[in-house]
Amino acid sequence: MSGIAVLMMVLIPGLIWGGFLYLLTRAVRSESAKREVGDAG
Amino acid sequence: MTERFSSRWGLVLATLGMAVGTGNIWRFPRIVATNGGGSFLVAWVVFLILWSVPLMMVEFSFGKHARHGTVGAFVRMAGKKFAWMGGWVALCATAIMFYYSVVAGWCLRYLAAAATGGLKSADATVVWESFTTSYWPMLTHALALGLGVSVCWFGVRGIERVAKVLIPTLFVLVVILAVRAVTLPGAERGLEFLFAPDWSALGDVNIWLQALTQNAWDTGAGWGLILTYAIYMRAREDVPLNAFMIGFGNNSVSLLAGIMVLCTVFALNPGASSEIVGAGNEGLTFVWMPQLFAQMPAGGFFMTLFFLGLSFAALTSLISMIELATRVLIDVGFRRRQALLTIAGAGLIFGLPSARSLDFFHNQDWVWGVGLMLSGLFFAIAARRFGLERMRSEVINGPGADLRIGRWWTFLIAFVVPIEAVALMVWWLWQARTWDPDWLNPLGTANVGTVLAQFAIALLVLLVLNRWLARKAAGVKEASS
Repeated sequence: MSGIAVLMMVLIPGLIWGGFLYLLTRAVRSESAKREVGDAG
Repeated sequence: MTERFSSRWGLVLATLGMAVGTGNIWRFPRIVATNGGGSFLVAWVVFLILWSVPLMMVEFSFGKHARHGTVGAFVRMAGKKFAWMGGWVALCATAIMFYYSVVAGWCLRYLAAAATGGLKSADATVVWESFTTSYWPMLTHALALGLGVSVCWFGVRGIERVAKVLIPTLFVLVVILAVRAVTLPGAERGLEFLFAPDWSALGDVNIWLQALTQNAWDTGAGWGLILTYAIYMRAREDVPLNAFMIGFGNNSVSLLAGIMVLCTVFALNPGASSEIVGAGNEGLTFVWMPQLFAQMPAGGFFMTLFFLGLSFAALTSLISMIELATRVLIDVGFRRRQALLTIAGAGLIFGLPSARSLDFFHNQDWVWGVGLMLSGLFFAIAARRFGLERMRSEVINGPGADLRIGRWWTFLIAFVVPIEAVALMVWWLWQARTWDPDWLNPLGTANVGTVLAQFAIALLVLLVLNRWLARKAAGVKEASS
């Protein structure tokens, strides 16, 4: 595989999957924080 | 008392189920493979931010603020004169539901055939042709519709419970299949094909419009489906983080599907790769994939997982379309189960022509696919009528928001999304001139004339009914089930 293909293979999934996991983690933290202060719903 | 999702995760999983459909699995790999690989992916990521996520925020805001289906929501957000736009959004999604149920039925039929070993030794082309020319698609269409209606029968709790099982399972299935594909000898050729950029392709406007189209069709933004689920979100529920999460989650599945399909193709039949990715959605999925899986060790097992994942993706999207149409009827005074039976009857009847004729199916897919771009434009117009700054401050950044959205969103909805929607429609119709020498014939399968004729009839009826729609859909409180 060419170097540029490897670079893109790291960058694009890194952005999409990494972005999704970051957003998911942030949502999980937010929900647990809201639950702690009884703020949900 | 209006129903609500029991938690944020219920809403997010149901909405992900809506977004992740067959388009992620059967269209994305083909489009990325034929449009410059890595360079297409750059444009695809750009339009996730410039089209899908901003429109998802608009839809969440409409549903959360108006607490009505598409027609009532457009009236409440933009005014009585805009009921026809909400009607257009509902009509488009419902027309798609009629033939999407046929697609879900195909997936179920192939799941059964894969699980019983019926696809492994047979000639896949013969199986597909004999299936689609038989009466079986009518039965599988009815089965898929029946499954979708039975989930919606139990209201939002039914949708939530099913999504909580099917969507995590679908993610696991797609990951298993992607891992299997990349561990096949020769799979690196597929990865190279998928990720190697052709930078000169970024100078081609067609690549950008294909990337925008893929985002418009496979994220579900601007369809009215997110709006429908947002009716049931809790009062202090977040909008912006959920919109980003669903956009990125949907495209994560697309990327996995691209890896799965292209690595399988290049590992098992590299000589026919161009023919395979050029075979169209049904050709790739129902003719080539069974042949490729048949060559793989434990191919029957992985083929079953593939069609199981495809069936889950199709059914969870179908459920959201049924709920959209049902909700519009609830708003005009139907009880949930009355509305569902009406939609089930209509879906059964109006889906039959697509089940019987692939030409009719392709006609409807073409016409309402273009219609979705108009739906996206209508959302942007209605949001402007409501007041973009007001929407941003009161709803998107309102109670429960986990992110603060800046003025960039206002700019995107005010200017960029309308330009994108118009550019897409003009581009697709311009292209369609070359597909059919008789391009203005309204009875053509996929040409300009059939789009203009069906749009004109639909818009005329909706404009004539505007006052009645505005009065009925926005004025009646929800009937309990």
